[in-house]
Amino acid sequence: MTASDTGTAPAAQPERRERKGSRGEYDHLMPKLAEHASLPPGSPQRLRLRDELVRGHLPVAQHIARRFSRRGEPEEDLEQVATLGLINAVDRYDPERGTDFLSYAVPTITGEVRRHFRDQAWSMRVPRRLKDLNVTLSSAMGQMSQTLGRAPTAAELAEHLSLPKEDVLEALEASNAYRSGSLDEMLVDDPDSGTVSDLLGEADAALEKVEYQQSLAPLLAALPQRERTIIMLRFFKNMTQSQIAAEVGISQMHVSRLLARTLMQLRDGLGENAR
Amino acid sequence: MARPDAIPPDLEEPPEDVEVRVPATPRAVVTMRTVAADLAARAEFTLDAVADLRMAVDEACSSLVSLARPDTKLTCTFILDEERMTVTATVSTFGPERLPTDSFGWRVLTTLADDVRMLSATGDRNGDPFRLTLRLSVRRLGTVLS
Repeated sequence: MTASDTGTAPAAQPERRERKGSRGEYDHLMPKLAEHASLPPGSPQRLRLRDELVRGHLPVAQHIARRFSRRGEPEEDLEQVATLGLINAVDRYDPERGTDFLSYAVPTITGEVRRHFRDQAWSMRVPRRLKDLNVTLSSAMGQMSQTLGRAPTAAELAEHLSLPKEDVLEALEASNAYRSGSLDEMLVDDPDSGTVSDLLGEADAALEKVEYQQSLAPLLAALPQRERTIIMLRFFKNMTQSQIAAEVGISQMHVSRLLARTLMQLRDGLGENAR
Repeated sequence: MARPDAIPPDLEEPPEDVEVRVPATPRAVVTMRTVAADLAARAEFTLDAVADLRMAVDEACSSLVSLARPDTKLTCTFILDEERMTVTATVSTFGPERLPTDSFGWRVLTTLADDVRMLSATGDRNGDPFRLTLRLSVRRLGTVLS
């Protein structure tokens, strides 16, 4: 959800950057909030008002995003997440409750930004040196897995690359701090290739034997295809990460990161369903 | 100023038995999985096994923490032997809590680790709290494939 998805430069909103006045600067939006809340969901008029309300309060979201901007996440990402929080706040705000909009919106937006940080919990800053080493390790692991018939150990990798074991351990640890997408996301993979489809068929059969399928199935279905494939092959086909890496055509480290991230998403999703 | 003694180079072996205690909160779980993975990587586990262990500890601790009483601790013991690492994770709970064993989470645990056991203890009559423990082990060479 970055602005770069479309290849355009991130659009700042310079016209909104003027100094903020008193709290009263959003007062003129209050009647519109009430009107918005009174309209039936989905009505064109409500959508138009919603748009106007989100735009009108955008400085609030930007202000909150900036408060979090020195923690290693790109500022555009934070603004998008904060804007998402603002949209939720506009959608859910109920003037009947008597609280004013800002008292409701600020915690909602802040919560959304915090949640983003939690979801990205492993994406701390990683020194360039370790990123480079990671690329080396990643490809060496693939080769060694082929020769050994299993994944190598950290010591074997270090020996193979004539590197100190401590450097290898450090780089491996850093790879868990990577945000998927930084390194190997661009590599081509094709979950529809013949063998993977066959394997998935068997995994699907195993899935049918698991309880709670009702709550799990929609979550799995909502996953991007590659993530779903990897989850199915690991947990319903019992393949190792190295085997999955070879089958899907990405590195073991990438499989590892995708698995960890997807499990966390599934856990959140299942947790909410159970409540 | 006295210099500390140099660490003998042959002290590469990790301690055999490591215990870590953190607040029983979701954000502390990362510490546990990181310790587990580091111990295993140093102990010559294959990197598949290290990754599996990391995820298993994450899953076990996350599930336990969701049942823990507020302001209590999550304790993990990591024991290494020739073939495997055995992890014991414990929290205090309000009552005789259990984790569902027909869930996806359990499936994840039992795929990643061997010998997954759930143990619960009612404290003695001094009013000690209930405890819920998960024990699991991961083999140095990873899952043995059929």
